[in-house]
Amino acid sequence: MRETIRYGFILAVICIVASGLLAGMNSLTKSRIIAQAQTEEEAALREVMPFGEYFDPIKKGEDIIYYKVRNKDGKFIGVAFKASGKGYSSVIDTLVGMTEDGTIVAIKILNQNETPGLGARVAESSFRGQFSDKNIQGLANVQAITGATISSKAVIDSVQEKAKEIQKLIKDEK
Amino acid sequence: MKNRLIVSVSPHLHKDASVSKIMWMVVVSLIPAGVAGMFIFGVGALWVILLGVVSALITEWIVQLFAKRRVSVLDGSAFLTGLLLAYNLPPRVPFWLPIVGSVFAIAIGKQVFGGLGQNIFNPALAGRVFLMASWPKYMTTFTKPQNFDAITSATPLAALKEGKVLEGISNWNLFLGIRGGCIGEVCIFALLLGALFLFVRGYISWHIPVTYTVVVGLFTYIFGPRGLFSGDWLFHILSGGLILGAFFMATDYVTSPLTRCGQIIFGIGCGLLTAIIRLWGGYPEGVSYAILMMNAATPIIDRYTKSRIYGTR
Amino acid sequence: MKKYFYEFLKGIIKENPTFVLVLGLCPTLAVSVSVINGIGMGIAATFVLLGSNVIISLIKNIIPARIRIPCFIVVIATFVTITEMTMKAYSPALNRALGIYVPLIVVNCIVLGRAEAYAQRQTVLKSLFDGLGMGVGFTLALILISGIREALGSGKFLGYTLTPRYEPAFVLGLPSGALLVIGLLLGFFNVLKNRKE
Repeated sequence: MRETIRYGFILAVICIVASGLLAGMNSLTKSRIIAQAQTEEEAALREVMPFGEYFDPIKKGEDIIYYKVRNKDGKFIGVAFKASGKGYSSVIDTLVGMTEDGTIVAIKILNQNETPGLGARVAESSFRGQFSDKNIQGLANVQAITGATISSKAVIDSVQEKAKEIQKLIKDEK
Repeated sequence: MKNRLIVSVSPHLHKDASVSKIMWMVVVSLIPAGVAGMFIFGVGALWVILLGVVSALITEWIVQLFAKRRVSVLDGSAFLTGLLLAYNLPPRVPFWLPIVGSVFAIAIGKQVFGGLGQNIFNPALAGRVFLMASWPKYMTTFTKPQNFDAITSATPLAALKEGKVLEGISNWNLFLGIRGGCIGEVCIFALLLGALFLFVRGYISWHIPVTYTVVVGLFTYIFGPRGLFSGDWLFHILSGGLILGAFFMATDYVTSPLTRCGQIIFGIGCGLLTAIIRLWGGYPEGVSYAILMMNAATPIIDRYTKSRIYGTR
Repeated sequence: MKKYFYEFLKGIIKENPTFVLVLGLCPTLAVSVSVINGIGMGIAATFVLLGSNVIISLIKNIIPARIRIPCFIVVIATFVTITEMTMKAYSPALNRALGIYVPLIVVNCIVLGRAEAYAQRQTVLKSLFDGLGMGVGFTLALILISGIREALGSGKFLGYTLTPRYEPAFVLGLPSGALLVIGLLLGFFNVLKNRKE
């Protein structure tokens, strides 16, 4: 009995010291981690909306549904949003920049874990670039990657579906 | 048909059939399929076969020289590996593809394990799977039969997988090999001719090939596209690499079970895996993966099916 | 001084954690796709090894034998979390690349293995050099494996294309390629060892 209590006590002391250390570390790095995440997000947003200057998140509860994008003069030029679709071996997250009339400015693959050399090529500009300046209605003529139909379709379909959804949201707002 | 060569556990009687002779006989039996492949796909196929065979022989020689093993390049086994690998390639591949495949098959599929008789996996299939995983673009680009302008076309199985309607391919054309596919797998008629020769000479037994083919046919018939018992079993047997795999690669002495009972288990396993991959897997064709997986299971099958020596446990 | 140097050196060749002790293979398989990932993982693991080895050999006398494993794990987990936070704050790119594998250093058998087999019965200084040596050995092994995989699997080295005419063998970028490379290297080193003896 005494032994058990002693063991528990020692373990507790070690845990307390460890959590103290971690708490200290957390307060040291927290602000920087948040700042890093923000700059990263902004860099990605700028990539899909090169002329955007201000990105205002439109939230529904806690979740960001899309970003309203304004240019230097504060004029509304379009939206940016995330679309995700089930690919061949992973969920592919895509960030899309779109003007108000439904023309895609650019897309960027945020996350994917597809087969290297096949599905993973959706992140390459030869595939990604095809979306630029296309209306979301005309995505059907985006050329799928040879041998990676499933991954290509996942991106095309998810972008198209989400774009329509967002477009409807904007219309309703007006 | 009378069985003249029985592969079984010891004790054995001496018979005039050396490893080398069997290997060369299998090579001879494969010639019709290769010739048919050349007629169907053109001279390009001949180059692929030559490159595969020659580089297999050279690799075998170099590795045996380096490992200070007895050099046995001419025992036919390396020739057979190179030949089978080439038969499993599309007819128009870049020249280095059969070379790399043969080097991998011989050096890593066979010699790393200790040479002929020691390898766990069928070397030719190991080479093919390596190529498939490495350069899928070339391995899945097939040309139309009897069309020498290199127009690409899908294999019947790939077309089926993508939900396309199969048109213009009759079972008769499949039997003769007028379809897109690998060099040696397309002409079922030529393959069966070669297999018949091996049967008559007693070099292979019916156990693996017949159970393998029958199980694939049954399974694809039962789980057809329009509910139970509606599958096109003949199509599944005649397309893809099933006949080449079942008669010439699943029957490889080194990597298949020794006993009759074990061979039947092996054949059923191959059949089930092939059918499952074809029907529900990510790839259109599953013969090479099925055989490789059952190769891995061969030691266990042998362990449970080998007749016990009297008096031991 | 010489004996400390020996403790350091043995982790690199004689008792290399990857090729001789064959420990910590899961992270090796997972991150060795590119050299930069390998280096990052190696440095992170080295830091954790160093910290956990030193702390464990410091407190070895107050840890009762029967609860040593939970104690070790708490110490290791603390260091891993610190590493992860630092990486997130200062190198988000590396953090994204190594992703889930950093928290998994907690269960990297090299770290727990050295705590169990070495640090809990050796002096602090010796443990420090052991941890450093093991970490460097692990990093070098990772660089070797990921170097081969990156060069053959994507035709690049440290992100630079070696030759545009090479057609990469994708299989080496897949986990099966990692198994293949590790297996062949293990065999190669065993051949070398046998030749020497």
